Amino acid sequence: MIKKVILAISIVINIVLAVILAINIRGAADKLKFVYVDQDTLDPSSLRMYLDMENYGTAASISRPIRGGAKIEEVDKDYYLLGEYADVLFLKELFEETGNAATIDACDKRLKEIVEELPEYSAIFEKIRWSVDQALGE
Amino acid sequence: MKCYSCGGEVSLTDKTCPYCGRSLTETANYRKDKEAYEKRSEKAKGRLAKAVSSNVPIVISAVVMVLLIIGVSVAVYVKENAYHFRGDAMRKEAKNNYIEYSKTIRDYLDAGDYTGFYAFKEYHNIAEFEEPYEDLKLLWDMTRKYALLVSDVEEAVLHGPEARWYRPEDDVANVRRSIDGFYNEYAYKLSEINADSYGAYMHDMKKKADAILKVYLRLDGEKLEEFLNSSMNKKEAYLEEVILHD
Repeated sequence: MIKKVILAISIVINIVLAVILAINIRGAADKLKFVYVDQDTLDPSSLRMYLDMENYGTAASISRPIRGGAKIEEVDKDYYLLGEYADVLFLKELFEETGNAATIDACDKRLKEIVEELPEYSAIFEKIRWSVDQALGE
Repeated sequence: MKCYSCGGEVSLTDKTCPYCGRSLTETANYRKDKEAYEKRSEKAKGRLAKAVSSNVPIVISAVVMVLLIIGVSVAVYVKENAYHFRGDAMRKEAKNNYIEYSKTIRDYLDAGDYTGFYAFKEYHNIAEFEEPYEDLKLLWDMTRKYALLVSDVEEAVLHGPEARWYRPEDDVANVRRSIDGFYNEYAYKLSEINADSYGAYMHDMKKKADAILKVYLRLDGEKLEEFLNSSMNKKEAYLEEVILHD
């Protein structure tokens, strides 16, 4: 009788351990995926929040890793592209001031690509352009 | 032992002498005890086998439990250290792709896109503190300060028409700190920058920083010099005026 109780308890413990193991294996596999540079700095929920708050400068700096080659999950791509748009537009003014002609062309090309890729966000692009104009004092 | 009748060598288990055929009564007790011991031994073996078989499921369950505990420990360790494993793997990859990555870095630098260089180096976990990227060390120190300056100015000045902006004074203080950080670093390391193989890029980086301050913070020429030499409070008062339109 005691042996049966011990066996039953050990089976229950094993089932619990198996569930914990499965959860941890999945968590470890997710963390090992080479998708983001660093989940802490490329956090889609933060980015969405800053876009909602119309804080385009913060969205721009959060999105910057994609200019270094970071890959983005398809589901979050639009948000990062909006951030990248703000970043590139901000930097383009800087290159115009310092006269990097080839880089200005590259910025224009990238800005155009992003706008063409996200036609449904024209209102937000307009707001981003407005924010840059305001920052320039225009 | 020897047979009492013929003196032949006999075993304790023999019932009769193999040489003379005499019945060996003197070993009868031994044989009887032996049979009794054998029977008891068989019974004991049977009991043992029964006990073992009844414990097998518990033993198996215990072994499975130990394996699961080891598995959970390993999985938790990997999960907690995944960032480092990933970082190490990318750093190794960066070493293996040195030629390709160096070319990309040059492209970023030649374009004057130092924040792009910053993002590229961060993403690929390029280690400037070890071979073969050691020559990037000073450039990287300056680039970090420059990227922070760009980010802080960007965060402080780019707000939409209906922006909700909490604690703008923090953004102003960040801009002041990052401006001080970059320009102080540049002034402090100027002789090293002049001697560095990437020195030209760092001087260009300073020009870019000047341009950011001119374009977005209306600081140019003498005004910039005056700003850089003013007190912390004066700097923040000026930045509040420009950024917050106070």
